[in-house]
Amino acid sequence: MPGTIQEVKARHEKRLLSLPGVVSVGIGRGRDGQEEIVVGLDRPRTWTAMRMPRRLEGYPVRTDIRGRPRAL
Amino acid sequence: MDDMRAALSGVRRELLAREYVVAAGIGYKTVGGKRTDELSIVCSVVKKVPEALLATDDLVPGEIRGIPTDVVETGILRAQLERTDRWRPAPGGVSIGHPSVTAGTLGCLVRKNGETLILSNNHVMAAENAAAIGDPILQPGPYDGGSDPGDRIGVLEEFVPIRFLSTEPSDCTVARTVAVLANALAYLLGSGTRLLAVRLQEEENRVDAALARPVNPADLSEEILELGTIRAIGSAGLGTPVRKSGRTTGLTSDEILQVDVTADITYGAGRTARFTDQIMAGAMSGGGDSGSAVLDAENNLVGLLFAGSDTTTVINPIGHVVDALGIGL
Repeated sequence: MPGTIQEVKARHEKRLLSLPGVVSVGIGRGRDGQEEIVVGLDRPRTWTAMRMPRRLEGYPVRTDIRGRPRAL
Repeated sequence: MDDMRAALSGVRRELLAREYVVAAGIGYKTVGGKRTDELSIVCSVVKKVPEALLATDDLVPGEIRGIPTDVVETGILRAQLERTDRWRPAPGGVSIGHPSVTAGTLGCLVRKNGETLILSNNHVMAAENAAAIGDPILQPGPYDGGSDPGDRIGVLEEFVPIRFLSTEPSDCTVARTVAVLANALAYLLGSGTRLLAVRLQEEENRVDAALARPVNPADLSEEILELGTIRAIGSAGLGTPVRKSGRTTGLTSDEILQVDVTADITYGAGRTARFTDQIMAGAMSGGGDSGSAVLDAENNLVGLLFAGSDTTTVINPIGHVVDALGIGL
């Protein structure tokens, strides 16, 4: 592995956040219990989803439609 | 029973005039903690006081017109308060706000330099940087009917400014040209979407936090509604169960689903602010819950709730709030 998942996420998050509809990038846990990079989308986004890598430097990437977060 | 009603209505006023008596009704007499089958006139008192300490006029007689009496301690009776009502003392979890905002949530009490202060969000108590130190803080917030000075519970003491992403139209010629060409193409393709050349200045935030100084510390309670008191400062990781008590959705719980989150949060007037190193839970909040203290299962304070969508809740880790404001419990 080229680094921790935190380092890999930090290296890629600005680029990911510049894609249309991406509102967050975090670290979550998959169904198998493995840590993964979670990319939050404001709504279904075909263009962005098609360009989303399935892995970044070995770590799994999951897109998650979570809506646009606003101050409550 | 009718006899008892008649007897009660004859003496009710007289009973309620006694010090400590807050209610009088008909009920079964309780003897030694056990309910008997004997009906009695039940006097509810704020507290039971030994006969020797009571003035004769304040004593509830053993029987009234031949009907036995009973005295039960109920404490002060008050109407069930809503979180959007005025509370004195005010616990965490109720409505609060700067006069120019709608309403948010009073998070909890914290300590700084030995003083007790109120913790909530910048966008609740400092109006997204627009407030001035010393501005009134109302409980309940203006949306819930709070007004100044009657409902002033504190004054703004300090806040961490929120740095918004600058969305000024770009002065870059290349970007403007690209936008014009792309918009022309979009027009030809029949798309309704247009591109605006903007320069996103990336300024990062860790917290949306502010402190208020109570006008009268006795007007505030260390309790958080339905959660009790905070035990200590803690931290939350992936899978940590969390709970919050907020103005709008009350007591809710979930677990931390993401950590190390970088998120773009939409504020009023369409402004956006980028937050880094946040923690995220699922749907456990709504508009007006901002400022809620987030606790773990052992009542350790782990976060300050400030944003969310229909499916997610974004929380400042409390460690960042402690560092930014120099506070403790």
